[in-house]
Amino acid sequence: MTPLPRESVCDYCKLPLPYSPRGSPRSARDEQAPLYCCLGCRVASVIVEEKGEHGVPRTMLLRLGLSIFFTMNVMAFTMALWTTDVYGQSAAPSTLSLSLAGMFRYLVLLFSLPVLFLLGLPLFEHAWISLRQRVFSTDWLLASGVAASFAYSFLSVMRGHGPIYFEVGCFILVMTTLGRWLEVTGKLKAGAALDALARLLPERVRRISEGEDEVPLDEIRIGDLLRVLPGERFPADGRVENQAGLVDEQVLTGESRPVLKEPGDRILGGTLNLDADLRMIVTETGEKGTLARAVELVRLARQSQGRYQRLADQVASRFVPLVSAVAVVTFAVHCALGSVERGLWAALAVGLIACPCALGLAAPLAIWTALGHAAAHRVLFRSGEALERLAEIVAIRFDKTGTLTTGSAAVSHFFNDHTEMPETIQARAAALAAVSSHAMSRAIVEFAGSRRLTQAASISDVRVVPGFGVIGLLAPDKIPIVLGSRRFMRDQKLLVAPVLEWEMHGAEARGLPLALIGWGGRVRGLFIFEESWRPAAVAVMRSLTRRNIDVAVLTGDHGSRGRAIAEQLGVKVEAELLPAQKVAAIEQARSTAGPVCMVGDGINDSPALAAADVGIALGCGTDLSRDSASVCLLEDDLRRIPWSIELASRTRRVIRWNLLWAFGYNSVGVACAAVGLLNPALAAFLMVASGTLVTINSLRLGRTFEIEIDQGDSTAAASPLGSMASKELSGRPAAIDGLAQSEQFLTLETAAR
Amino acid sequence: MIELPLIFLGGLLGSAHCVGMCGGFAVSIGLGSRGLADNIARQLVYTTGRIFTYSFLGVVAGYAGFWIAGKSNLWVNAQAALCLIAGVLLLAQGLLALGIVPRRRWPRVQGGGSVCLVGTFVGPFLTSPRVSNVLIAGVLTGFLPCGLVYGYLALASSSANMGAGLLTMCLFGAGTAPLMILAGAGGSLISHAARRNLMRISAICVALTGLISCARGILFVQIAPAPEVVRCLFCGPSS
Repeated sequence: MTPLPRESVCDYCKLPLPYSPRGSPRSARDEQAPLYCCLGCRVASVIVEEKGEHGVPRTMLLRLGLSIFFTMNVMAFTMALWTTDVYGQSAAPSTLSLSLAGMFRYLVLLFSLPVLFLLGLPLFEHAWISLRQRVFSTDWLLASGVAASFAYSFLSVMRGHGPIYFEVGCFILVMTTLGRWLEVTGKLKAGAALDALARLLPERVRRISEGEDEVPLDEIRIGDLLRVLPGERFPADGRVENQAGLVDEQVLTGESRPVLKEPGDRILGGTLNLDADLRMIVTETGEKGTLARAVELVRLARQSQGRYQRLADQVASRFVPLVSAVAVVTFAVHCALGSVERGLWAALAVGLIACPCALGLAAPLAIWTALGHAAAHRVLFRSGEALERLAEIVAIRFDKTGTLTTGSAAVSHFFNDHTEMPETIQARAAALAAVSSHAMSRAIVEFAGSRRLTQAASISDVRVVPGFGVIGLLAPDKIPIVLGSRRFMRDQKLLVAPVLEWEMHGAEARGLPLALIGWGGRVRGLFIFEESWRPAAVAVMRSLTRRNIDVAVLTGDHGSRGRAIAEQLGVKVEAELLPAQKVAAIEQARSTAGPVCMVGDGINDSPALAAADVGIALGCGTDLSRDSASVCLLEDDLRRIPWSIELASRTRRVIRWNLLWAFGYNSVGVACAAVGLLNPALAAFLMVASGTLVTINSLRLGRTFEIEIDQGDSTAAASPLGSMASKELSGRPAAIDGLAQSEQFLTLETAAR
Repeated sequence: MIELPLIFLGGLLGSAHCVGMCGGFAVSIGLGSRGLADNIARQLVYTTGRIFTYSFLGVVAGYAGFWIAGKSNLWVNAQAALCLIAGVLLLAQGLLALGIVPRRRWPRVQGGGSVCLVGTFVGPFLTSPRVSNVLIAGVLTGFLPCGLVYGYLALASSSANMGAGLLTMCLFGAGTAPLMILAGAGGSLISHAARRNLMRISAICVALTGLISCARGILFVQIAPAPEVVRCLFCGPSS
């Protein structure tokens, strides 16, 4: 999806301009003049500009407010006139009531002139400008109707008899302006979630050059040294310079645990410095920063047109000429059958009720709200169409490595040679592993930590031997204690007991990574690692299956492993696939089932992501360049996938309801107005009510909702080692349990026992 | 109209309730001022705007009552019905405020309802330094949904007369003025406990107005002209 060219969209709301009969609406003469689709956008753009400058409303909003004040006066005196009219029917009018009525007519004229000046002039001006720019909207219908009602009433007052319709003209002017103002406010609200994201960056930053000085954000350049205090957000992407500190990256990665950033580590703009007085070197500024690019991505998505929007626009573009024709015919027929007054009355009602504002708002407002809501939950859609398509998918395919699995190792099994207590061995291994940042070392620490092995291991002089493992000295005799590869054990002349040798062969045959620990001439323990599923992987599979979505996993793993995975997750697995074959699998799914969604990490599965109807990439928080996916999850949480599908289907529901309402209301309304059943003032009110209804209905999408993902028995049902896994779960330290209440730490068990 | 002083009193004391609900607006109006005198002037203008809207609504309600009475006097005594409706509404308001009738919690609209949309419209006027903006802020806040206003509007419509409707609502608005101006000008001059007591008295006033209106309604029903006996064309009046 590419955004529409500037020539064909409204300069305020970015909606396509109404039908223009003669080529491009932007003629050379008005090249620089802004184009607006309706008066509401013209008004709103002026107001927003003014608010942006001074924070106080000036001319336009004041005009509307004053007009409301004057219209109230007009209505009050008109009502007084109506009562004298009624009295006049029942009894002979007294001289007093006649002169009073005459005075009231002049008062009504007096009070309605400011409204005509304040709101009528901009309407006439807009109608004139759009005519000159050859953009046809219902505004010119409206303008001519209002002008006619004022002119007719003015003549009546001057002649001293005849009906007056000032209140209708005033009411229409106020209502149409107010209605459009409300609609535009709705549009702004729909983008509020996005603006909140954009405002995360601080406005002023501390730059360190010779001394320390505060400068505006847009003055910083790549290579600048900045100081960020605890509790402040980083103003740009960069690298840590002086010391280590904890950083909350939740806004971009969804990771609720603070991340330790050491000197040289990458910092993302918008993330929160938790505890250290940090200095950072700026590596990306302004629009190239991660946060700015995320916001820009959603902005672009908002400008792209979805299918529903195109449908509404097509109808709307035929609508204006059609309605104009209906209005003219109505006027002519009523003139011929009744009076000019009735013709004017009915034609005006047609023009008012047919304002395609509700139709124009129906799709985009819902989509904008949904896109903003999704962005606030760290789900970025690259286009509104991606959202619409996601609601329609019937099949979903998951890449395995890095998508369903975390990509880091976890200890699945531990064996020992029975010469020492297993707890002692694990505690010593953890003490050694703690000095290394290797994935397997972290897994050992986590494994030991999960069993609350806190006993002191009394190991000193620990050092890392790169490529081999970790070595230290064990108290009290200072004998070497070694953790690492098999080769490291051989080098250290440690013997492997037959029981461990057998398990080791088994693991190596299945290609599983392992680590050994030993001291005093013997290898004492064996750790076998496994990939670990992401939290809630099984529950998400179930949730998707419950939605009647055809779920399958695509993997390059061996067939026997694939069968094991299928048993674990309870879904189909297509194994032994090369990247090109994954594309074929997607295409096959589309031909057999229908629209298909592919979920991957966006790194090695981009062809498949691009081939699917909707591609979802996980973990884009640190890398938004994975543009083969039409949906980017900033975090790694798989539960966002059913959540996004639910959001998409809710959006579709709201759009359909909006469109149904707008089509139905407009058709019935025009029919009623054409036969003369609708009072123009009532038509104006209905127009506002309809637009407001669509706006409120669309803004409902900004409400938070939860999807039901049952967690209960998934661990036990999925894993043959269910009881062990749940024991591990309960023994997990609070810091890890706190990640999410529902988090599960499933270890895939394929090693034969 | 016996209840006119009561209406004023209900408004006056009921503004303890108004301060709780709309005091924030008055305070915002004060924010844009330069000193106390300016602030009080702004509060006066703001209150004038509010009273204007109330009066306008009173006129509309009076006209509506008049229109209904005119349309329906053949089959039902509309004025009596309107009096009864207004009485019940006001009585309910009073009892609600007294805490005798438990208040039902309405589900709140999240993520932007119509009120929020209106708020973005009124908001900019409140803190603007210009007096015309303050007036408009008053005019617009007069339209905000409020149970007390609705109750008195029903009362205004029961008069079935535009002038009486205007008078009712104008008096109600004038009654709300003193406390709102005080709240806007001086912050909280009245202690929380005093405000609670005021609210109790006000609630009693409102309930009393409701009772009077009900009584009037019943009176209207009783004194309503008895329908003329349809006489048979053929047999004529029995003599």
